[in-house]
Amino acid sequence: MKAKSTLKRKSSPTTGWLQSPFIRALAALLFVLALGALFNAEGAFFKWNTHRDMFRHISVFAILACGMTLVIITAGIDLSVGSILGFTAVLFSIFCIHQGWSPWIAAPVCILAGAACGAASGGLVARFKIQPFIATLAMMVFARGLAKWVSGGQKISTAVLQPDGNYRYVEVPPIFNSLNSKILNQNVAVVTLIFLACIFICWIILAKLRWGRYIYAVGGNEEAARLSGIPVTAIKLFAYGLSGLFSAVAGICQAAQELQGDPEAGMTYELTAIAIVVIGGTNLMGGRGGIGLTFIGAMTIGYLEKILSINAVGEASRLMLTGAIIIGAVLFQKARK
Amino acid sequence: MKKRIICAIGLFLALDIFYGCGKRQEVPSTKDESEEKVQLKWVIGMSQCNLGEPWRIQMNHDVKQAAEKYPEIKVIFKDAQNNSLKQRAQIEEFISAEVDLIIVSPKEAAPLTQPVAASYERGIPVIVLDRRVMGDKYTCFIGADNKKIGQAAGRWIVERLNDKGKVVELKGLMTSTPGQDRHTGFREGIKGSGLEIVFEADMKWLEPDARREMESALARFDEIDLVYAHNDPGAHGAYLAARAAGREKDIIFVGIDALPHEGQIYVKQGLMAASFEYPTGGKEAIQIALDILNRKKVPKEITLASRVFTKENIDRGGEWLEEEKSTLKS
Repeated sequence: MKAKSTLKRKSSPTTGWLQSPFIRALAALLFVLALGALFNAEGAFFKWNTHRDMFRHISVFAILACGMTLVIITAGIDLSVGSILGFTAVLFSIFCIHQGWSPWIAAPVCILAGAACGAASGGLVARFKIQPFIATLAMMVFARGLAKWVSGGQKISTAVLQPDGNYRYVEVPPIFNSLNSKILNQNVAVVTLIFLACIFICWIILAKLRWGRYIYAVGGNEEAARLSGIPVTAIKLFAYGLSGLFSAVAGICQAAQELQGDPEAGMTYELTAIAIVVIGGTNLMGGRGGIGLTFIGAMTIGYLEKILSINAVGEASRLMLTGAIIIGAVLFQKARK
Repeated sequence: MKKRIICAIGLFLALDIFYGCGKRQEVPSTKDESEEKVQLKWVIGMSQCNLGEPWRIQMNHDVKQAAEKYPEIKVIFKDAQNNSLKQRAQIEEFISAEVDLIIVSPKEAAPLTQPVAASYERGIPVIVLDRRVMGDKYTCFIGADNKKIGQAAGRWIVERLNDKGKVVELKGLMTSTPGQDRHTGFREGIKGSGLEIVFEADMKWLEPDARREMESALARFDEIDLVYAHNDPGAHGAYLAARAAGREKDIIFVGIDALPHEGQIYVKQGLMAASFEYPTGGKEAIQIALDILNRKKVPKEITLASRVFTKENIDRGGEWLEEEKSTLKS
């Protein structure tokens, strides 16, 4: 089964342009954009601010999706990204707001903590052969517990509870404000630039580095990869570790945008991240896909949410429409030949 | 084979983390019971439906703080982790442990009515906090009225805007009763006024969602006078969206809950114009508990009064909403 799909992949570049997953992903995005142009909410859809805000809002999810793409290409899944986001958001807020650390120390510590969580579930998957779903489910629960433990269950905000029961107010750390701001003449949110940087890093890894090719090989046929001398265990650790790392980056962005660290942050974000990867066209069976697809997937999901939001569609119809459109897009991509 | 065993261990651990945490937390609280019993007269069992929401953490905090003042009582806290059956089991545990009184903040009415009644019939008084159980087999219900708070917010907003203006309503989860009551109450409060609701959306109590919905409202309408959010994080998210658009000075933000570390602080910092308190009743529960244990007569039902916090009155501790002040506070 897997050998067959490898063969198919090899022959695909020679077929017509419609077979390219990239074109198919773009078509889904265009379909959503057309919906937006049709239901433009009295012209709100044509304002630049709407698009800028869409990119700001989807950035955190898309950063999670970057790591998720790497893991899914190894034929795995990472359910822990949302919890690691919550954990690192709390951690970053404690360091920067309560302890007054420099962000140059706090950010790397948080990113390392996230990467360590990711590597831990990667270790369970690669070394102990626990199914990715179970290993990362455990990490999802564990990291959420960590977030609640380090925060004491409360949001970490600029009001610091003193032992006498009163609150001491601290300034919002400058790093929060700069991450939450917009640059280039107020046209691009800083978190969007971070998202683009993450996309670029993933592209370098997947398209330019040998380890990126190994990631595809492991996902395509693990046994064949092992026999041809690819360090499968290390590659899996690498992918899950990076997923944790990107989750931490997203956590820092989330904290900066909320001006606080919420231990409940990132609940169900893993599902949105998976949806972004899948709607882009990366295959859940592994071995196929790419970061460019995830970029388009992020825009598709982002615009979908934005269009429903500017039209003030009710929650019930919103959920049904989102489900229907995701299925529609995926079916469309499946319809090869 | 080895693989299977490891999988099984992993699954067991995952399940253990899911279901085990609550139990483990309870161990220390029962350990030192015997030593303290000398001066201790009464043990109170408190079952909280979940500790995932800041408001419920605040409730436990209020109960704890109030109870610390009385050395004759001791409160054992249990967290039902949003599971009705677990909460039911906790009440049964309290009954068999023969505590002197039970405080329960139920997750749902139906599954908890029977165990609460069982306790009541065995002579262990039960105080029901915030959400109701069915029937009348409990000792005392303490709770606030979301509809009245919504109405008060509506009237306050009409007055603040001088009877005209464009309002955005950011709703809490509309499948939950607090969301529905805060919505209908508000609509009753503004009925007949010149206010216009230009945009309403469900932000599901979540700050990031409120920010996204507010961005949409800002994109659509160049003129927005006020945002009414069903909770304070929602109002804060809306504020952040308005600030990003450079419009936060033109818009008034109003929210509900007024937790000390959330809404009250936003009001103090001037981000929000007003926050309406949704009281936890934690302090009142301990007072009522002491009355019951001292064999005093207590009312069957206590509706908690709510305060409004504004920039002007926050240093004085807010202002009680007119009408009914609860029996305890007068």
